[in-house]
Amino acid sequence: MSNSHMFLPSGFIRTPLQNGLGRYIPQLQRITLKFCKNHGGSRGVRDFIESDLMEFAKTNPGTVVYLKPRRHRSPCMVAEYLNGEREYLSCHEFSRDEVHKWLSYMCTRSGIPVMRFRKYQHTDYPTVQGVWNPFTHQAPEINIAEFPHEVLSRPLDHGPTATEQLIEIFKKTQIEDPANKPPN
Amino acid sequence: MAALWKTCQQCLRYRFSNVSIYTSITAVNVISKRNFKAHWVAPTLRELKRRKVIEDDLNGGPKIFHRSTFLEWNYDAEIFAFSNRLGEKFNDLSLRAALTHKSYIERETARLSDIGVESNLQFQDNEALSQKGGELLSKFINGYLRAVFTQVPEELIRAMHDFLTSNPTLETVARHIGLGDLMLCADFPCKTETYVKSFKAIVAALAESSGEERARIFVQDLVVTQLYGQDVNELWNPVDPVGNLTAILKREGKAEPEFRLIRQAGSNSILGVYYVGLYSDKNFISEGAGESLEVAKEMAAREALKKLFRTEDSMRALPFGRQLKNIQSKIAQLENQPNIPLSEWISEKVMSAVH
Repeated sequence: MSNSHMFLPSGFIRTPLQNGLGRYIPQLQRITLKFCKNHGGSRGVRDFIESDLMEFAKTNPGTVVYLKPRRHRSPCMVAEYLNGEREYLSCHEFSRDEVHKWLSYMCTRSGIPVMRFRKYQHTDYPTVQGVWNPFTHQAPEINIAEFPHEVLSRPLDHGPTATEQLIEIFKKTQIEDPANKPPN
Repeated sequence: MAALWKTCQQCLRYRFSNVSIYTSITAVNVISKRNFKAHWVAPTLRELKRRKVIEDDLNGGPKIFHRSTFLEWNYDAEIFAFSNRLGEKFNDLSLRAALTHKSYIERETARLSDIGVESNLQFQDNEALSQKGGELLSKFINGYLRAVFTQVPEELIRAMHDFLTSNPTLETVARHIGLGDLMLCADFPCKTETYVKSFKAIVAALAESSGEERARIFVQDLVVTQLYGQDVNELWNPVDPVGNLTAILKREGKAEPEFRLIRQAGSNSILGVYYVGLYSDKNFISEGAGESLEVAKEMAAREALKKLFRTEDSMRALPFGRQLKNIQSKIAQLENQPNIPLSEWISEKVMSAVH
C-alpha cells in the first residue's frame, strides 16, 4: 500500500526498554474511567463496572484503575502508559462488551503511538557474516595478477567453449578406438 | 489527528457491535454521530491555541503538573501496582523509604514549621538505601559481564559496567518502570540524579525484601538488557592495538605480527581503500580495511584483538532472562573476581565460555 496519501506515521516495530527481553512488564500504568451515574450514554460503562471491573483489576494488578463519576458528561477512558503517553477514548453509548474489549486493547498496547509498521521484525544485528563488499569471495590472486588474465578475465559462468568440447569428444574417441579394434 | 482517530474508532466499533444505531429514515452517511460545529468554533480554537503557544513560550514551556495533583490519585494503590508490575514483592516500609528523598523531608518539615505545626515526621529517606543499592548494582552487573564475556580484559568489562551504570541509562530505566510519579522529592520535573538515586534504592529495597537472588535477577532483567543493541567495541577500544597485540603474541610465545597488503582499490582517489592482513608466522589472523595504510593496519590489529577476546561482530548473542537460569551460580561466583587486565592477557589464562 502506498504511503503518500496516509497521514498516519510509519515506523519500525519497537518496544520500550527492551520489554520482554529480560522480563515482560505490562506497559499500562493506570486507566481512568470517567462516567456519569445517571445518563444513558454511560450505561455500558456502569454495567461494566458493576460486573467485569473487579475481574479486570485482579488479572491486571500492575495497572491502577481509577473511577471518576462526573455528572452530565459523556463517559470516556484515559489510559496512561509507562513511557508517559496518554490514550483517550470516548465510551459514549458503548455496550458493556465494547468497554471490556477496548479496555483489554488498552492493556495490550505499549505507549508507542499507533503507526503503520513498515516491517514486523526488527533487529539491531542485521548481519553476522559481514556486509558484502566487492572484495568478498575474491580470489587473492587478483592482487598480483596481470590483466588480461587467462583464468581471472573469463566470466565466472562461462563453461567450456564449443572448440574445447569438440577436443574433449575427440580425445574420448581416441581412447575408445584401440579397445574397439578387432583383434588381428 | 483527533478527527482521524474518531473516524477509525467509529469504524472499529461497527465490527464489535451488532446493533445498528441508525433509524431507517436518516441513513445518508455511513458513519453516524457527525459533529456539526458552528462556523466560529474552529477560528476561535485556533486563536486560543495561538495565544496559548505565545504564553507558554514566554513562560519557558507549557505548564506541567505532577500526577499527584490530580483528583484521581491514590499513592497506596500506585505503590501496590508498582510492585506487581515488576512481579516483585517489597516490604512496604523499605519501598516507601526507597522512594522518599531527603529534599522532600526537608521541604515538608520546613512547610509544617512555617505553619506552626510541630513536625515529628517519621519519614525515612533513601540515602543509605541508595548507597547500598549502588554497590549491589555494580556487583550484579560485573558478575554478569564477567560470566558472559569470559575472554575479555578487565578494561572492557569496566567500560561496559560504566555504560550500564551511567546516569542516562539508569534514568531511562527508572522512568520506564514508572518511578517518575511515585518519587517523593522536592524537585519537579525530577532531576536525573533523583531518578538514579531512587532506582538504586529500589534495588537495595528489593534485596532487603526478597533476597539478593531476586535483586540480581531484577538488575539482569532491567539494567543489563540495556546492553542489547550496543556494539561493545564502541564502548572501549585499546589505545595502541598494534602494541597490545604484539605484547600478547609475545607472551603466548607466537611470532611477531606481520602486516601485508591484501587488497587495494582507488589509491589515486579520495575513496581509496586498503585491506591489510595480519599474519603471525605466516598464519592468517585477521584483516582490516581503512582509507590509508596506517588506518588499515590499526583496524587489522583491532580485529585480531576482537577475535582473541571473542567480541567480533559475529559473536554469540548475549543471554538474557530465562537463558541465565543455568549460569546464575557462576555469575554470583564471578562478582568478586575481576578478569585479567590487558597488560597480562594471555589465551591460556582465560576461562572457556560458560554459555
